[in-house]
Amino acid sequence: MRFGWYRFLVIAVAAVAVLAPLVLVFYQSFLDAPFFQPVTHFSLEAYSFILGESDFWDAFVTTLLIGAGMTAIAVPLGAILAFLIVRTDLPGRGWLEPVILVPIFVSAIVLAFGYVVALGPVGIFSIMVKSWIGFVPWNIYSLVSIAVVAGLMHVPHVYLYTAAALRGLGTDLEEAARVIGANPWRVAIHVSLPMVMPAILFAAVLVFFLGFELFGIPLVLGDPQGILVLSTYLYKLTNLLGVPSYQLMAVVVVAIVVVTLPLIYLQRRLLRQSQRYVSMRGKGQRAAPLRLGRWRWPAFVFIALWFLVTVVLPLAGITLRSFVVTWGEGVKLADVLTLDHYRALLNFPNIERGILNTLAIGTIGGAFAVVGYTLVALAIHRWNSGWVRFVDYIVMLPRAMPGIVAGLALLWVFLFFKPISPLRSTLVSLWLAYTIVWFAYGMRLISGTLLQVAPELEEAARTVGASEARVMRDVSVPLIRYGMIASWLLIFLIFVREYSTGIYLLGPGTEVIGSLLVSLWGTGDVDLVSALSVINVAMIGIGLAIAVRLGVRLHA
Amino acid sequence: MVRFTAAALAAAFVVFAPQAQAQVPQGYPADYSKIVDAAKKEGKVVVYSTTDSASANALIQDFQKLYPGVTVEYSDLNSTELYNRFIAEAASGSGTGDVTWSSAMDLQVKLAADGYALTYDSPEIPSLPKWAVFKNQAFGTTYEPITFVYNKRLVPAEDVPQSHADFVKLLNAKPDFYKGKVTAYDPERSGVGYLFVNQDVANWPQAWDLFKAFGKENIKLYTSAGAMMERVTSGEHLVAYGIFGSYALSRSHKDPNLGIVMPKDYTLVTSRVAFISAKAKNPNAAKLFLDYILSKRGQEIIANKAELYSLRSDVTGEATLKKVEELIGDKARPVPINAALLEALNQTKRLTFLKKWQAAMKGQ
Repeated sequence: MRFGWYRFLVIAVAAVAVLAPLVLVFYQSFLDAPFFQPVTHFSLEAYSFILGESDFWDAFVTTLLIGAGMTAIAVPLGAILAFLIVRTDLPGRGWLEPVILVPIFVSAIVLAFGYVVALGPVGIFSIMVKSWIGFVPWNIYSLVSIAVVAGLMHVPHVYLYTAAALRGLGTDLEEAARVIGANPWRVAIHVSLPMVMPAILFAAVLVFFLGFELFGIPLVLGDPQGILVLSTYLYKLTNLLGVPSYQLMAVVVVAIVVVTLPLIYLQRRLLRQSQRYVSMRGKGQRAAPLRLGRWRWPAFVFIALWFLVTVVLPLAGITLRSFVVTWGEGVKLADVLTLDHYRALLNFPNIERGILNTLAIGTIGGAFAVVGYTLVALAIHRWNSGWVRFVDYIVMLPRAMPGIVAGLALLWVFLFFKPISPLRSTLVSLWLAYTIVWFAYGMRLISGTLLQVAPELEEAARTVGASEARVMRDVSVPLIRYGMIASWLLIFLIFVREYSTGIYLLGPGTEVIGSLLVSLWGTGDVDLVSALSVINVAMIGIGLAIAVRLGVRLHA
Repeated sequence: MVRFTAAALAAAFVVFAPQAQAQVPQGYPADYSKIVDAAKKEGKVVVYSTTDSASANALIQDFQKLYPGVTVEYSDLNSTELYNRFIAEAASGSGTGDVTWSSAMDLQVKLAADGYALTYDSPEIPSLPKWAVFKNQAFGTTYEPITFVYNKRLVPAEDVPQSHADFVKLLNAKPDFYKGKVTAYDPERSGVGYLFVNQDVANWPQAWDLFKAFGKENIKLYTSAGAMMERVTSGEHLVAYGIFGSYALSRSHKDPNLGIVMPKDYTLVTSRVAFISAKAKNPNAAKLFLDYILSKRGQEIIANKAELYSLRSDVTGEATLKKVEELIGDKARPVPINAALLEALNQTKRLTFLKKWQAAMKGQ
C-alpha cells in the first residue's frame, strides 16, 4: 500500500470517529425537537433560551474560575515536582514517579466521596481536628475547595509534560549555576524552569481545558451549596423542563467547543515553540543529579504532604467507609466495624462479570486502543502538512463534550448509523467510546515516544532506499515498542476507571465496575459503593505495582 | 453458564414433551398457556429499570424459576438515562426494552400517552388499586411511602416531627439547632424531587410555609437519596425530608442509627410504573414478566426481599400497603397514575413553579 493512501485513510477514519458524534450534537442544537423524531424544525430557540439563562452564565463563570484556580495550583506544583524528581538527588525518586501519577488513575467521584468521609464537616479527620482546636478550620464544599482539590489532582498532568521537557535538556547550565553558588531553589526558578517554559505553558492550557470537563468533584463537593459548573449544569438542564431537552444540552456543548478552539490553537503554538527550544539544546549527557543538600528532606516532605492530601486522605476515607456500618459525629469507629459490605458484594449479581469486563476492556481494549493511536501517530509523524493541524484539532475535540453528552451522542451514532448498529450491545461499542474520548491522552503518549526516535535513524533507512512504510515498520515501530507497552499500561489504568462515557452503551452482559457504581449510588447503597470502589482502586494499584516491577518507564 | 443450562433445559422440555400444556398461574384464563408457550419461544425478556440489580435480583431469580426458558436481561439505569435510551432506540427501530420499569412516574405516563406502551388487559388488574392502572397500559407495581428520615443519635426524641405541620413548628422553634442541618431532594435538579414538592402543594395548603421555613433554615438540596442518607447518618445533616421509604427501610436494617417517620397528617405514596413497549420484540415474555411482578408471588418478593413495598392488599410483611395502613390509617396519599402527571411536565407551569420555589429558598 502506498504510504500517502495510508495517511489519508487513517486520518479519514479518525475524523469520522470523532466528528460523527460532534456533528450530530451541532445539528441537534439547531432543532426544536430530538433529531430522530418524525417532525422537527430548524430553530434558534435553544440558543436564545440558554443564553438568556442566568444559571448558564453562573455555571460558565464558575467553570472559568475553577479552571483558572486549578491551573494556578497545578502548574507551579507540577513544575517544581518535575524539577525535583528529574534533576535532583531527592530521596526515593525512583519509586516516587509512579506514585505521583496515581491521581490520574483514580476515579474523581471516588476521590471526592472519600474527601466527604475524611474531611467533610463531620469527617473522620475533621472530628479529630475539632477535638484538638474546637472547630473545623476548612470547608470542603466551597468553590475554593473544589478548585484546590481539582488543582492538586491535576498536578500529575503538569508533571508529565514538564518532566519530559526537562529530560530533553542538557544539564550544563544548571551545573554552572550550582558551581557559582546558587541554591537548588534558585536553579529551579531561574535556570531550569524558564528553559522548559513553553512545555509548562502548554500543560497550563491543558489543565485549564480539563477544567471544563470536571464532573465528579463538583458533583459531590458542589452539591450541598448548589455550586454548578457546566457539566453539572447539564444535569439541571435535563430536569428543568421535565423532559430531557437535547437541543439545550447541545447548545452548552457548542459553547464549550467555542471556548475550546482558541485554547487548542494556543496549545499548538506553544508546542511548536517548545520543540524549537528542545532542538536548540543538543543532546546533553546525563550528568550527576543536582545535590539538594539540606533541602533534600524538606523537599521530600513537600511531596509527601501533597500526596497525603491528594491521595491518602480521600482513599483512607473511602476504605474506612467500606469497613464500617456508619460513621460521623458521636460514632466510635471500633463499635461499627464490619465485613458485611464485602460479603454483600459476593452475592451481588453480575459482579464477577463486571470485574472481568473491566479487566478485559482495560487489557485487550487498551492494547487495541494503543494500536489505533499508534496508527494515527505514525500517519502524521514528521509530516509537514496542513493535515497535521487538522488532526491536532480533532484529537482534542472529543474532550470538549462532557461525559454524559458524549455518551448520549455515541449512543445516537450507534443507533442511527446502521452499519455499526449490531456492535452496539457488545463491548466493542464501549471500547470505541473510550478510545475516542481518550484520543488526546493516548496520542500524546505515542507521539511523545515517536519524537524521541532521532530522525537520523529514519533518514538512514530512507537513504538506503527503504520506502516510507518500511521505515515505519522496521525502524520507528521497533524503536518505540517499550514506549507502546508503557502507553498500554497507562491506557489500561484509564480505561479501568472510566465509566460516564459508556453509560448508554452498557447492557446486560457488558456491565463494568464504573456503571455498577453509578447505579448503586443512585439508589443510596453507599455501603456497596465504597466496597466496590476499594476493589476498583485495588485493581489500579496492582496494575501500577506490576508496572513498577517490570520497570516500565511511566514517562513514555 | 446458568443461562445456557436453563435454555438447554427448556429446549429439552420442548423436544421431549411437545404436548404438555404450559402451566397457568392460578386464577388466570386457560388460554394464558398460549402466552406462556409463545414466551418460551421468545426465550427472553429485556427489562430496563431504575431499580438497581442488587434489589431486583431475587425477583429475577424467582421469575426464571417460575418460567424456566425465559431469561431476564436486566439493565439498570437512572430514570433520565432510561428515558433517553428508550426513545432513541424506539425511534431507530433497532429494539429496546420489552418492559420499562421506572420510578419516574411522570415520564412513564408521558411515554404511555405518547403511544410507546402496549395496551394489555393483565389478569392481575382486578387485584390492583384503581389509581395504579393507567388505560391498561401503565401499571403501578410498588407502594412506596415518602418519609422523613432522621439521625437517632443526634436528634432529641421529642424533636422528631410526626407530621408536615410538626416539621414547620420544629424549624420555627429551634432555628439555630437545625440551621443547615435539614436536607431534601432538589426539585430543580431532580425529577423525583420536583414530583414530591409538587404533590405536597397539591395535598397540603401550608406546603409553601414549610418550603419557606426550609429556605430560612438554609436547607441543603441533593440529587440522590444515597447522598442524603449518608449525610444524615453521619450527622453532617440531621433530618431528611422526602426519602423513598423503601431505600430508608433497607438502610435502617443495616444502620440502626437511621430513624424513619411516615408523617401522620398525610404520607405521599409513589409507585414504580411499568409498561410493555408497543414495539416489544418479545411481547409475550414481557406480558409474563409484567403479570409476574404484579402477581401475589412477585409482590411477596417485592415486599419481603426487595423491600420496595407491595401495593397488593393480600400481601403481608413489613414493606406492604397493609403495614402502611396499620401505621397511618387512611392518611396515605398515593400519587395516581393518570394524565394529571403530565401537567407536571408542562414547561410553562414547571418554570413558574420553580420560580416560586427559588423565592421560597430565599425565605420569601
